[in-house]
Amino acid sequence: MKALVVAVAAVPFASALLVQLFGARLRRGAARVSVGAVALTFVLAAATLALALDGHAPAQFALARQWGILLFDPLSTLMAVVISGISLVVHVYSVRYMAEEPGYARFFVLLDLMTGTLLVMVAAGDLITLLAAWHLIGVLLYFLLGHDARSRAAHRYASWTLITYRLGDLPLVLAAGLLYHAYGTWSLPKIFAAIGTDPRAHAVLGVPLPEVVAALVALAAFARSAQFLLHTWLPYTMSGPTPVSALMHAGIVNAGGFLINRFAPVFVHTADVLPGVFIVGLITALIGSSLMLTQNDIKKSLGYSTMGQMGFMIMECGVGAFALAIFHLISHGLFKGTLFLGAGGVIHSAREDDGVPKDDLYTFVVEKRPANQRRPWILMAAITLAVPVVILMAAHFLVSQDYFQEQGAIVLLFFGWITGAQLIFATYRMRAQNFWRLVVLSVFSFAIVIVGYTLISHAFDLFLYPDASFRRGLFAAADIGAVRFDALVGLVTVSIVAGWVFTYYSEQGRGRRREVRAGRWWSTLYALGSREFFLTDLYTRLARALEAAATRLNVWLRWV
Amino acid sequence: MGTPGLWSVAIFLPLFPLSVIFNALFARVGNAPMRAIILLAWPQVGLVLFGILPPGRVAGGVVALAVLGSLLYAFRAIALRDVDRWTGYIATSAWALLWPALAHHAAIDTLRLYALGFSVPLALLVLVADALKRRFGAAYAGLYGGTVRMLPRLAGATALVVLAAVAVPLFPGFFALVAVMVTTIPEQPWLAVCVGLTWLLWTWGGIRLLQGLIVGPGEAVAPVADLSRVEFGFYVLTLALLIAGALRLPGVTA
Repeated sequence: MKALVVAVAAVPFASALLVQLFGARLRRGAARVSVGAVALTFVLAAATLALALDGHAPAQFALARQWGILLFDPLSTLMAVVISGISLVVHVYSVRYMAEEPGYARFFVLLDLMTGTLLVMVAAGDLITLLAAWHLIGVLLYFLLGHDARSRAAHRYASWTLITYRLGDLPLVLAAGLLYHAYGTWSLPKIFAAIGTDPRAHAVLGVPLPEVVAALVALAAFARSAQFLLHTWLPYTMSGPTPVSALMHAGIVNAGGFLINRFAPVFVHTADVLPGVFIVGLITALIGSSLMLTQNDIKKSLGYSTMGQMGFMIMECGVGAFALAIFHLISHGLFKGTLFLGAGGVIHSAREDDGVPKDDLYTFVVEKRPANQRRPWILMAAITLAVPVVILMAAHFLVSQDYFQEQGAIVLLFFGWITGAQLIFATYRMRAQNFWRLVVLSVFSFAIVIVGYTLISHAFDLFLYPDASFRRGLFAAADIGAVRFDALVGLVTVSIVAGWVFTYYSEQGRGRRREVRAGRWWSTLYALGSREFFLTDLYTRLARALEAAATRLNVWLRWV
Repeated sequence: MGTPGLWSVAIFLPLFPLSVIFNALFARVGNAPMRAIILLAWPQVGLVLFGILPPGRVAGGVVALAVLGSLLYAFRAIALRDVDRWTGYIATSAWALLWPALAHHAAIDTLRLYALGFSVPLALLVLVADALKRRFGAAYAGLYGGTVRMLPRLAGATALVVLAAVAVPLFPGFFALVAVMVTTIPEQPWLAVCVGLTWLLWTWGGIRLLQGLIVGPGEAVAPVADLSRVEFGFYVLTLALLIAGALRLPGVTA
């Protein structure tokens, strides 16, 4: 077992060393060595996952006395398979994609190092190993994004990414320092066991230690997963090679969700952190998704789509659905990786033919032409509101009868309901030859997605957190009190229904003055969105101001 | 510890404004090996002085001054393009961070290793800067750039040495900084935050330096010889030894 766990992390590093030493002699063979090594890593990782699924108890293997501990547990084995799988696809894609680029062997060395470091990060069983891997990922990403040494733009954006990542490293180091000082060990299992025994044993400035550590870990996760205000680097990393974009959006940026899951035994003893995590995730999801719609560059749009998805992932952690966040990051990684690797081909073929059929969907989505003839709105409103609720409740009753006692579950159902209602609402506005067929198909696909999602996420829950009381504890940690919760749900419901009513009536009454006013509103909103709320400009100015201030200080102090 | 003793130690483990003495001296020395020796010896002298002085408590104000001075030099370093001056500022910033560990009665032998862990990459950077000067007349970021295409070994050595200087894992600086933060955080969390920010600013300055030296079209680079394999091997071997030493560094790992 130990040899297997160590080999999963070691093989990519060995490959990197081989390619670095013999890359010049191997030429194209360097890529074959690298691909072969990552394929072997994937097989080994799959073997560890099979052992975990088979019920082998979690274990840890120390490579040194106090740190260098690698964990064998459900989370690490699952993540190892995901990382090595995505990395293998990226490696294979890069063999031909990067063939004409200078530094071909160097690229594979960096890819191997990144894969190995990611694998060490997910298996890290102590704080030092985790910190080292967490920090190194930022540095390696900098060199991968700036692989084209001729491009100053690529390096500028790569450095922006590194600075944000380093900003996120700071709270993690502080959290590690607090934990080490309190418990006198770097070992995560020992620390988690001690916290589980007496969560209130230590405090920082009067605040219980788990609250402080969880808040710091959440901050580190926010920076890594491009949460709002720490997101500006993400859409600008497109200057890097496409395989790196795919690896980053499919794997690296998801690390925030992983980190929160790794520290789940700390989060379970908190009372005030997870609601904050939920709010940050919610804002990020809304802003990321909105910004995605205002971009006309496909890769930048995908970047903001990732930001929105990361918001959802963090939001899921914020409601206590930790395992769901892992499922989300895996599914997002797979589809986003596919989109990035396919983006180049899509752009190329779109230059010849956009391939969009001029049918009902096209006229609705692209030309924004709503249906002329509609069904009775009361009937549609009833279907819109009732059908998603029925599907969601039925799906959740399949996995748990008492699911609705958890606030987090209700929030997730609420989001599912809004999504489903929005889907049917959109269908209502479409002009279709066979309207009922479209509605039935929409409802059917929605049901498939919800049932599948519910069942799979429940399976993840059982695999990652087999202890039912621990799962309940996570949901309890996300509770915000019945009154606040009911008020929040009521407020959000009223906002959404008001939004629908506004949309409906704005299309009914088409007065000249109203159209002009609405047009101005939309133009302003669009301008703000397309300029990314000027946050990037603000940060750029801030960075330049700091550099100018440092120069003035140097002059004033006569350069000594 | 008496005031004269503190003043003498504060010159070699630079406390602002006494740090100007080291930087003024460092700027005057032109010979690269001599600069490297100064970098290696300067903090060791400070630690020896600290060891022979009568034992006493290092006041909290001195630790705060040291950490803020370190932050100041790290901040000033983000605007620098001259490699030598950057090296001096980072050295000043790094050595000042030994004060929190001194205040927490860390073993002098351990601190000597931390100081060496900070100094060796900077001494190597001085040699890299000398190699750049011999080829281009100046070790100045943004003046030529693009060395990675024309001089891959020199660019590789530059990148690795700068990474070691800004305390990237698994170089000794990483472990030393983690140890300093761990000792500082329980009693003075804000000082630990300052140490973290200092570390962040080192990275900022480091990547600005790299961007100006190794990135770019490389068309302005005159046809000059790259580092020999032996020279490149020297840098790689020294850095590998540093990593090997860092893995056994006391404090975090013992």
